[in-house]
Amino acid sequence: MFDGTPDEISRLIEPGRVHRRVYTDPAIFDLEMSRIFGRTWIFVGHDSQVVKPGDYITTEIGRQPVILIRHSDGNTHVLLNRCAHRGPKVCNEPCGHAKALTCLYHGWTYDTDGTLIDVSMPEGTAKGFDKSQFSLASVARTGRYRGFIFANLVKDGPSFDDFLGPMKANIDDLVDRAPDGEILLDAGMHRYFFRGNWKLQVENVLDSYHVPYSHASTVNKKGEQFSRREGDKEGAKVIDDQNTDKTADVWKGRRSFVVNFGHGWTSNTELNEKGRSSPAYDAYKEALAAKVGPERMAEILTPEFHNSLLYPNTSIMGLNIHIRVIRPVAVDLTEVMVYPVRLKGAPESMNFGNIRLLNVTHSAASFVQTDDLESFRRTQAGLRSEQSDWIDISRGLGEEKADDHYNATSESAMHEMVIRAQYDAWRQYMCDA
Amino acid sequence: MDGLKLPQSTAPGGVAGIDREQFELFLIHEGRLLDDRRFEEWMELFTEDGLYWIPSTPNQADPYKIASLFFDDRELMKTRIDRLRHPRIHIQTPPSRTNHMVSNVIVEEADEAAGTYLVSSSMLMSECRLDIQRHFTGRQFHRIERAGDSFRIRLKRVHLINCDSPFEAMAVPI
Repeated sequence: MFDGTPDEISRLIEPGRVHRRVYTDPAIFDLEMSRIFGRTWIFVGHDSQVVKPGDYITTEIGRQPVILIRHSDGNTHVLLNRCAHRGPKVCNEPCGHAKALTCLYHGWTYDTDGTLIDVSMPEGTAKGFDKSQFSLASVARTGRYRGFIFANLVKDGPSFDDFLGPMKANIDDLVDRAPDGEILLDAGMHRYFFRGNWKLQVENVLDSYHVPYSHASTVNKKGEQFSRREGDKEGAKVIDDQNTDKTADVWKGRRSFVVNFGHGWTSNTELNEKGRSSPAYDAYKEALAAKVGPERMAEILTPEFHNSLLYPNTSIMGLNIHIRVIRPVAVDLTEVMVYPVRLKGAPESMNFGNIRLLNVTHSAASFVQTDDLESFRRTQAGLRSEQSDWIDISRGLGEEKADDHYNATSESAMHEMVIRAQYDAWRQYMCDA
Repeated sequence: MDGLKLPQSTAPGGVAGIDREQFELFLIHEGRLLDDRRFEEWMELFTEDGLYWIPSTPNQADPYKIASLFFDDRELMKTRIDRLRHPRIHIQTPPSRTNHMVSNVIVEEADEAAGTYLVSSSMLMSECRLDIQRHFTGRQFHRIERAGDSFRIRLKRVHLINCDSPFEAMAVPI
């Protein structure tokens, strides 16, 4: 019997190892939905997805359907997507535009801020029925940063500012690359699913250790991955060109960083920045320099982060830029949404290049992501084995060091500090009954 | 980019007076090369500037502004196929088995003098890997040009009916 007491939860996480049930037990998954996704800040969408009043998108916070919608006063609202009458989802499409939101069942109609404005056949309402009590429920709190909109289902707990903390720098690193200082998530998305637990994808985004083996099929005879950025002639050096069984030294030199709340990032991928050039990239540099000046441009174009994770389920990739959202569906089923990023003010050709390269790395039919999905599927299948209870995440245990520059904890990206930090956050969330 | 565009509608039966069988046989051959995993020969069906495009949204206007499942030129096709031949391609260990079916062939446009055609057809690719069978279906459009007694593909564009749904990993071209 599993009641989810702090004692029980704490027994699932030991230094350098995690119990297999954390990935396989539906009761633990249910608890994650209420104690993590039901309580913390979850990315729901971006300003650029709901530009005009009445524009909306639908998404989920954990398993709960929500609507992100722009009201007539220009503000955005995050509403639970559930009619206050008998409960159908009011918005049925991934995105759309509406003057008002009408439930299909009995025609109750809500304003774009959720206020109930019309009940069909109002003569039948019960005595004392108070329309103002039947709005579409709003989430308890919303938080915004540079166009990113987060929601929190409970009113207590850390503020959005505390939650985001030093990770603002990771968002800035991406958004500042736009000459107009804004990004746009309006270039569609890649959607895929895998038969595995959501944390398998979360752990993977900051795991540089898997790359030389998992992604060997993306690496050429010189040990370089194919080019993933506009203007690059070659990709990252992953495997040693003298000995294909060895990881390249430059890859091994990568660092990883963690801060509070399970957030973290990996250091940039070393590429030939000086040699980066193409008509699209050169035109982009010109557009950026015109807006921010050559000095600031040089700073912006010096890559700092490879991949950043806003725990529990959002990642920002700085190499072939995108936002990735990981949606838990069931203990062994996960959907992933990958949004291409357009840089506002950049030449169209530059944005075209980013979108095109993201197809190659992160569509459901891509060269990189498909091998990861196979790893997740096989891991979930392997964990059915009950011979051992434990999953090892001990690489580099005890080698963590304080990093003054970032006010973070740092370690080799070939090790597993970031996963342990995610489980520290996981335990904190999960033990808070 | 004009080559990526499609006509709004075509008269029932398509362009009159053109033998459809030659196109049907070519499309059957194309699907069979994929089913036989003769990927290099499949790629050679494309012209040097040929494009292979599977949009991720219905009625997608172009592959530049919106994400696509596949949008390969010859260079990317080659990278994709080299990867399919790599011994450590985990998503193809074991490999998929596929079967293509082509039907309802319509000649949408024809310029006999230039030897260029736009042919649409209904396609179904069934795939089995590790006991899981799934199906990809939709209408596909081939812009092709006559090359000797066969054809070469300038554009293959596949409109999957579920193009905007989440997919489990896809490793082989459709």
